[in-house]
Amino acid sequence: MIRSLRIIAANPLSLTGLILVLLVVLAAALAPWIAPFPTHNGAIVDFAYANQAPNARNWMGTDLVGRDIFSRILYAYQISLLLGVVVLAIATPIGTVVGLLAGYLGGWAEAVLMRIVDIFLSIPPLVLAIAVMGVLEPTLTNAMIAVTAMWWPWYARLVYSIARSEREEGYVLAAEVIGAPTAHITFREILPNCLPAIITKMTLDMGFVIIIASSLSFLGLGVQPPTPDLGSMVAEGARYLPDSWWLTVFPGLAILLAVFGFNLLGDGLRDVLGVDE
Amino acid sequence: MSLLRINGVSKTFQTAGGPVHAVRDVSLEVAQGECLAVVGESGSGKTTLANMILGILAPSAGEIVFGGTPLTDRRSPAQRRAIQLVQQNPLSALNPKRSVGGSVRLGLDVYGIGTRAERWARVEAALEEVGLPADMRRRGPAALSGGQRQRVGIARALACEPDLVVLDEPTSALDVLVQARVLRLLNDLRRKKGLTYVFITHDLAVVRNVADRVAVFKSGRLEEIGPTERIFSAPEQPYTRALIGAVPVVDDAELKLRNTLAEAP
Amino acid sequence: MSDILDIRDLTLAFKGHRGLTEVLHGISLRIAAGERVALVGESGSGKSVTARIILGLLQETGSARVAGQVAFDGRDIMAMHPRDRAALRGTEMSMIFQDPTSSLNPTFTIGRQFAEVMHRRAPRLSRTACNARATEMLEEVSIPDPARVLDAYPFQLSGGMNQRVMIAMALVNHPKLLLADEPGTALDVSVQAQTLRLMHDLVEDHGTAVLFISHNLGVVREFADRVYVIYRGRIVEEGATDAVFHAPGHAYTRALMDAVPRITGVGLPEVPEVSDAFLAPMVRHGSAS
Ligand SMILES: Nc1ncnc2c1ncn2[C@@H]1O[C@H](COP(=O)(O)OP(=O)(O)OP(=O)(O)O)[C@@H](O)[C@H]1O
Ligand SMILES: Nc1ncnc2c1ncn2[C@@H]1O[C@H](COP(=O)(O)OP(=O)(O)OP(=O)(O)O)[C@@H](O)[C@H]1O
Ligand SMILES: [Mg+2]
Ligand SMILES: [Mg+2]
Repeated sequence: MIRSLRIIAANPLSLTGLILVLLVVLAAALAPWIAPFPTHNGAIVDFAYANQAPNARNWMGTDLVGRDIFSRILYAYQISLLLGVVVLAIATPIGTVVGLLAGYLGGWAEAVLMRIVDIFLSIPPLVLAIAVMGVLEPTLTNAMIAVTAMWWPWYARLVYSIARSEREEGYVLAAEVIGAPTAHITFREILPNCLPAIITKMTLDMGFVIIIASSLSFLGLGVQPPTPDLGSMVAEGARYLPDSWWLTVFPGLAILLAVFGFNLLGDGLRDVLGVDE
Repeated sequence: MSLLRINGVSKTFQTAGGPVHAVRDVSLEVAQGECLAVVGESGSGKTTLANMILGILAPSAGEIVFGGTPLTDRRSPAQRRAIQLVQQNPLSALNPKRSVGGSVRLGLDVYGIGTRAERWARVEAALEEVGLPADMRRRGPAALSGGQRQRVGIARALACEPDLVVLDEPTSALDVLVQARVLRLLNDLRRKKGLTYVFITHDLAVVRNVADRVAVFKSGRLEEIGPTERIFSAPEQPYTRALIGAVPVVDDAELKLRNTLAEAP
Repeated sequence: MSDILDIRDLTLAFKGHRGLTEVLHGISLRIAAGERVALVGESGSGKSVTARIILGLLQETGSARVAGQVAFDGRDIMAMHPRDRAALRGTEMSMIFQDPTSSLNPTFTIGRQFAEVMHRRAPRLSRTACNARATEMLEEVSIPDPARVLDAYPFQLSGGMNQRVMIAMALVNHPKLLLADEPGTALDVSVQAQTLRLMHDLVEDHGTAVLFISHNLGVVREFADRVYVIYRGRIVEEGATDAVFHAPGHAYTRALMDAVPRITGVGLPEVPEVSDAFLAPMVRHGSAS
């Protein structure tokens, strides 16, 4: 652990990633305490201060109903991170199990499972999410369902390709000769060898999930007002460009910061964990 | 009495390019306590035969009888336990994400050998038996040399207390010096525990020094089988003679033996 | 003296996380024109890195610290510009690797790869001339149907065939020195014996000098005129093959020799663990070399 941190710290890019991610996580976790206007995460109006450019009171300005944009970004990070964590916490295990079984069992299981995965992968991600959202109500939970539906096949594909090559390794043969149960071979022998790649991908994906979720809310399909969400903030603000530029620029930068951080950190982890693409 | 009897066994693989007859109608017996060497060129079906003995592959025809009972596709844990494998490539044979002890212990857990509490002690005993320190069980395989890994592989097989050990080219990936030590270890263990070996290799010089009998394979067929002495002094098949003639030798006595064999009709 | 290769006091260290690791501790090695010399030793003793220095590859690796003298055909390899070293590879000196199939490019036909090699020496050579020359070389390595092989991809040929193709390709530009790093260990014993015999005769005909790297003493005995034994980055014994095999002088060479199982069936040897005697000074046989 200490050694891994040292390797990450040795690379300026990974270190930047680590710091950005920590900043985002801290911002989200401490939002109620550090936000200058903690009540502004809800349906509050304060027309006295509506549509203000950045100033000493509101560092990033205020929105059309007078809410502090900086405070709303901090709260929006909470939603983004929650969404990322929940999506990955569901998509990763599903994809992993499917990939492991297809890769190790081969034959019939491989043909059926990977065909399903390919069907999901052949649909453009946003189209799939929009389709799901079209059927379901546009709520946070449903946004998670939609994003999860498009995310798990990538894990299945990743784990499948690793499991398939690990299947040929001598240690798998050794376990088969001993007669170890399939569950042992897949989860106890092969899975540990997939974990570094999975963890790296999860870190990289945190950023992408945040983008996709923002795109959904940008299209009005995700989180609904008054809950603060980076994507919806950009979408609303875009209508008032270029005059009220702070409405879009700051939430946009916030998305960029988080995505950038997770990507840099993911790349750093790839080196630490010795994963090759 | 023969411990293992292979009765008219064949294996055909169905591939895109048509059927591949990897093993064709092979019959042979291995006596309790003997070391039978299986030799032959690459692709002659040695590993396929081994995998059928181990129950990894099902024969397309024929039967394999072990200790008097025919083995079916579904083997009992006791039947599996009795036949263990030592592999060729010590690099891939151990899971890099598992401690050495964890790899050796797997068989004990699967077969329920000893009580839970006893098993680590058994793992350590198995490591010591192959000349490794007991505390190596906590280490990962990454830091071990090829020879040490191969010893762990042997310990893993022996911890299961097998009757028959299939050795698929156990030393061909090792350096000469390491190979010599591992071969001696295998010989000593066989004597001490009364084990039976099926020793697959393409190195006839090794065969000469470890095997009681030799089975020569060519394109999936058993060309010739007989006591080691006889195979090396009077090989019946030209193919066997060619195999012996191809062995690189280091001393003059060997050169003489090779040349006499080459000149024989 | 017409030495094609003259290495003196070559040292090599790798820079890693924990400082420098010394790999070669000052080895000296000479090969006369047309001579077949073997470098024998156990895994990790420094055989392959020596070959990579001769090829001028390690000098360009950032973490490697190379020092000493390496003269190839009278030219100082160490002082050469990387571009000039690159120009030597595949023309004046060539290399054969352990695994023939993976050292050929799977996406090109054998004929195309032959042409590429020949163009390194003669960039203007026409296609028909290339094919004629390649066919000639393939015939020399006893490939029965050269025209078919030239149109084939490596994976369509057996390991033994690919090994012969590699040999033919390595010799097509008439190199002065051939570096063979454990050739054929990926092959069957009988195929290996065959290809080595063929390579032996071929380099004799062409007058090519060979540095033959192996850990298999039996193979070395059949192939080489002279032997260097290397142990942990030091040459411990050097001499004519006959002399070394009949009267090994160094404890390490003797241990290596004893460890080889004999087809006469004299039993398995007792092999000493690493012993201090292995670090004894180098033994040199005669002055015939
Ligand atoms: N799963 C498989 N599917 C198709 N063909 C196979 C399969 N396994 C082996 N074969 C073929 O069966 C033949 C025998 O292979 P096998 O691995 O038993 O040879 P071997 O004697 O062990 O060779 P080596 O010395 O190279 O290990 C070969 O022609 C091989 O290509
Ligand atoms: N690029 C490198 N960086 C660090 N160490 C290296 C590098 N290349 C080789 N070494 C080290 O140099 C030593 C000699 O390696 P070399 O490949 O020459 O061994 P060898 O004699 O060819 O062994 P083998 O028979 O296994 O091929 C080894 O200890 C190896 O770990
Ligand atoms: Mg095999
Ligand atoms: Mg090497």
